[in-house]
Amino acid sequence: MPEHLHPSNVVAADPDISGILTRIGAEVLETMFFDEAVATPCDHSWIPSAASVSVAFEGSHYGEFLLSVSPEVARSITPSFLGVDLEDVADGQGSQVLLELANILCGSVLSHLWPESDLRLAAPELIRAERAIEDIAHQCFVLQEGMLAISIRKCRPDGPD
Amino acid sequence: MGFSVLIVDDSPVMRGFIRRVMTLSGLEVDNCLEASDGEEALEQLRHEAVDVILTDINMPRMNGEEFLRRLDSEGLLRTVPTLVISTDATKARMLRMLALGAEGYMTKPFSPETLRELLERVLGGKHA
Repeated sequence: MPEHLHPSNVVAADPDISGILTRIGAEVLETMFFDEAVATPCDHSWIPSAASVSVAFEGSHYGEFLLSVSPEVARSITPSFLGVDLEDVADGQGSQVLLELANILCGSVLSHLWPESDLRLAAPELIRAERAIEDIAHQCFVLQEGMLAISIRKCRPDGPD
Repeated sequence: MGFSVLIVDDSPVMRGFIRRVMTLSGLEVDNCLEASDGEEALEQLRHEAVDVILTDINMPRMNGEEFLRRLDSEGLLRTVPTLVISTDATKARMLRMLALGAEGYMTKPFSPETLRELLERVLGGKHA
């Protein structure tokens, strides 16, 4: 984990982040999967069984973007992304699609949040699910197959004291 | 008559997604080559000509910026239109890639209609 993502470095989210997560999240998911994504309040009971990905970013802003999907969504997004049947999905493609989806959502959300910014994104990595909703601005979506959440944790640029 | 395309992206699933969107767009693709970075793409272009190149930016070994510089130095940018497909929608990055010679810039995700419009523009309607 990059030093700037240490918990002591987390700062309060901008008030407009939630609106952008909702709008851009829905747009991206509908374009990628040709399916409706509905923003919803959520009790996060599905999060412990979720697959989660983190994309750290740095530059004019510092922090990380997180994506979590329920097991049902994790299974269904790869055939939907590639336009193939479930039995034709190769080993490892599920994780690759999840990492790629996190990268795309992150780039899109950050570009809308800070259009004049100059940011570098780290390679997406799989993380433990609980970190995806702790102390963070986030939005949950209902897809046809299950649940999906996107989140942003903003940090100070310097490392922990 | 269809066209030939080289897709340059380090993610195999993203290359698959781009192929899928191209099919959904209704464009007729005769030959679709793939490379996982700029270096592999240049090697392919030494053996086979294409009508258009679609390239990502963040890739290992040779990224999209260096790939555009090398295409320019080898005289290929003048003859093969190159479009950038990236997750980065910041103005600074778009302007930098267009200044390096890219003929278009498309942010991920993109619809079949957007891809078709952009390809028809750079191919001049000859193949699409």
